[in-house]
Amino acid sequence: MANGFFTDTTLCIGCKACEVACKQWNELPSDGFVFTGESYDNTSELSGTTWRHVAFVEQMAIDHQGELQDRWLMSSDVCKHCTNAGCHEACPTGAIIRNEFGAVFIQPDVCNGCGYCVVSCPFGVVDLIEKFDPDGTHYNLASLATSRLDARATAVQQSGGVAGKCTLCYDRQRLGFVPACAKACPTESIQFGDLDELRERAHARVERLSERGVSAQLYGADDVGGGIGALNAFFLLTDRPETYNLPAQPVLPSTRQPAGYTAAAVAALGLALAGWMIFRNA
Amino acid sequence: MPDLSECRERDDVPTYYERPLLKAPHWEWNVVTYLFLGGIMGGLGLIQLIAHPERPQERRLKRTVRITSFILAAGNPAILITHLGRPERFLNMLRIVKIKSPMSLGVWGLVLYSGAAGANVVRELAIDGVLPRWMRLLAPGFLAPLQALLGAFTAGYTGVLLSATANPFWGSGKRHIPAASVCSGLASASALASLLSTFEGNHAVVHKLERLEMVAGAAELLILNDFKRAAGAYGAPFFKGKRGERLLTYTVVAGTLAPLALNLIGQAVKLPKPIDAVRTTLASALTLVGGYVLRESLIEAGKESARDPRAAFRQPR
Ligand code: SF4
Ligand code: SF4
Repeated sequence: MANGFFTDTTLCIGCKACEVACKQWNELPSDGFVFTGESYDNTSELSGTTWRHVAFVEQMAIDHQGELQDRWLMSSDVCKHCTNAGCHEACPTGAIIRNEFGAVFIQPDVCNGCGYCVVSCPFGVVDLIEKFDPDGTHYNLASLATSRLDARATAVQQSGGVAGKCTLCYDRQRLGFVPACAKACPTESIQFGDLDELRERAHARVERLSERGVSAQLYGADDVGGGIGALNAFFLLTDRPETYNLPAQPVLPSTRQPAGYTAAAVAALGLALAGWMIFRNA
Repeated sequence: MPDLSECRERDDVPTYYERPLLKAPHWEWNVVTYLFLGGIMGGLGLIQLIAHPERPQERRLKRTVRITSFILAAGNPAILITHLGRPERFLNMLRIVKIKSPMSLGVWGLVLYSGAAGANVVRELAIDGVLPRWMRLLAPGFLAPLQALLGAFTAGYTGVLLSATANPFWGSGKRHIPAASVCSGLASASALASLLSTFEGNHAVVHKLERLEMVAGAAELLILNDFKRAAGAYGAPFFKGKRGERLLTYTVVAGTLAPLALNLIGQAVKLPKPIDAVRTTLASALTLVGGYVLRESLIEAGKESARDPRAAFRQPR
């Protein structure tokens, strides 16, 4: 059985309940008090300690009739739990596994913080978590939280220096609960469940929207290309993927290995031959 | 809901407030040094094999190179450990062997290389009489080609480690970066070996080493030149701007062309010994600097490339 997320961005109202629920359930530290001034999005990106991120896009343009049109696009981003996951393939310690629910999970007690998963994720999701520093300023901006954390450092903080990303609420799933973000979402923009069922629902939703004159596309419900396959967390979008900071052409990094090793072998062979000829004569 | 996607020009790629899509590597000087020394180690693996055991000077070169390669192989993991978020868990890398992970294969390559190099050093010391003579048996003959093979892998993997990632610039060099890493590694290894041989007064082998250095350096330049063409816009963080100038100055001109010229002079003209020693020292030092700057530029360009959302939207295949 593989479970996943279907994030229908047409239903998102940008309330960020998912972000908050995720932080609370997983006891993730605050990101500090940041004001981007760009939009209502002050989270900006997924990180080692931010596992849901609501993107907020404001669009204004003059349409073909010369009318001013505007719209808000909101989308809750998350780890895609790829079928062929770059992070999973790259991890040299075996810390990253695929669990019984089909999710890509980092075992925090095995990871040694080499950071190779970070550069191997085609979606820029996973990141290293800074070491928890009670005297430092990184987590201290919310001073209330800090005093609490000083007394009771959370699991994630104790294991700072390791990689972090969405676990698809492994612990909640084992208890038979829905992931915290899906539970908290008031509009069912985040839907959790069996992937086959979710995909069916998503395709039907695209059709319903098109009947109503809204052109929508699915991102990751089927193969995204580049060797990655389908995404276990996929999205329904109403604009190009890039608008939501999703790659139009993601590529699974390991697909470049055969070419790399072959090129290295050819170079080594050529140089070995040259070296042998140079050293052959007295 | 109005559909505004049609109001835009087709080729106008939107970004999310110009924010990066990808995460930049956290790698600093320690990984640069690790890759640089890994390349040298790999190159020394080849030199210890091709030096002829019957000629006394080359015998001596073999010995020096084997000891140096073992010292590097023993020291390099220590540098790798410093970059980990959890250094005390370094050994977790040895829990598994993962064919799909260059990081995993590379660490195993390094471990096996130090084993082979260590055994070959024992052999050298046993021949010298520093260790009991029977200990030669601990290093059977096949370990010399094995060390060379593992060396080639180590040098090549330092390139695949970069090119087989999601980083757009690194990915655009899926053939060039591994091949250039091998060439640069061997050029630096030859430079280090000629430097050590000069200090030891083992001048007879220096000219051969310098010829090898010239071949490897020239090959590296050709590969970099082709890389520039093949990488196109993905290559901008590496070939253009300040970093491009730095690469041109330190790696191309000072690090490859200058030693090439110095070595050519050494091959063509018979200089007095002390002047020739100065020439070798200078050429070798320049090659080593060029090799280091190449690795450093690769890492730093990778960081810049990761910050460019447009490059990351269309990842090179
Ligand atoms: S989106 Fe990135 S972090 Fe998530 S499973 Fe895929 S490769 Fe791993
Ligand atoms: S940082 Fe941790 S999870 Fe990521 S590749 Fe390294 S060991 Fe694996």
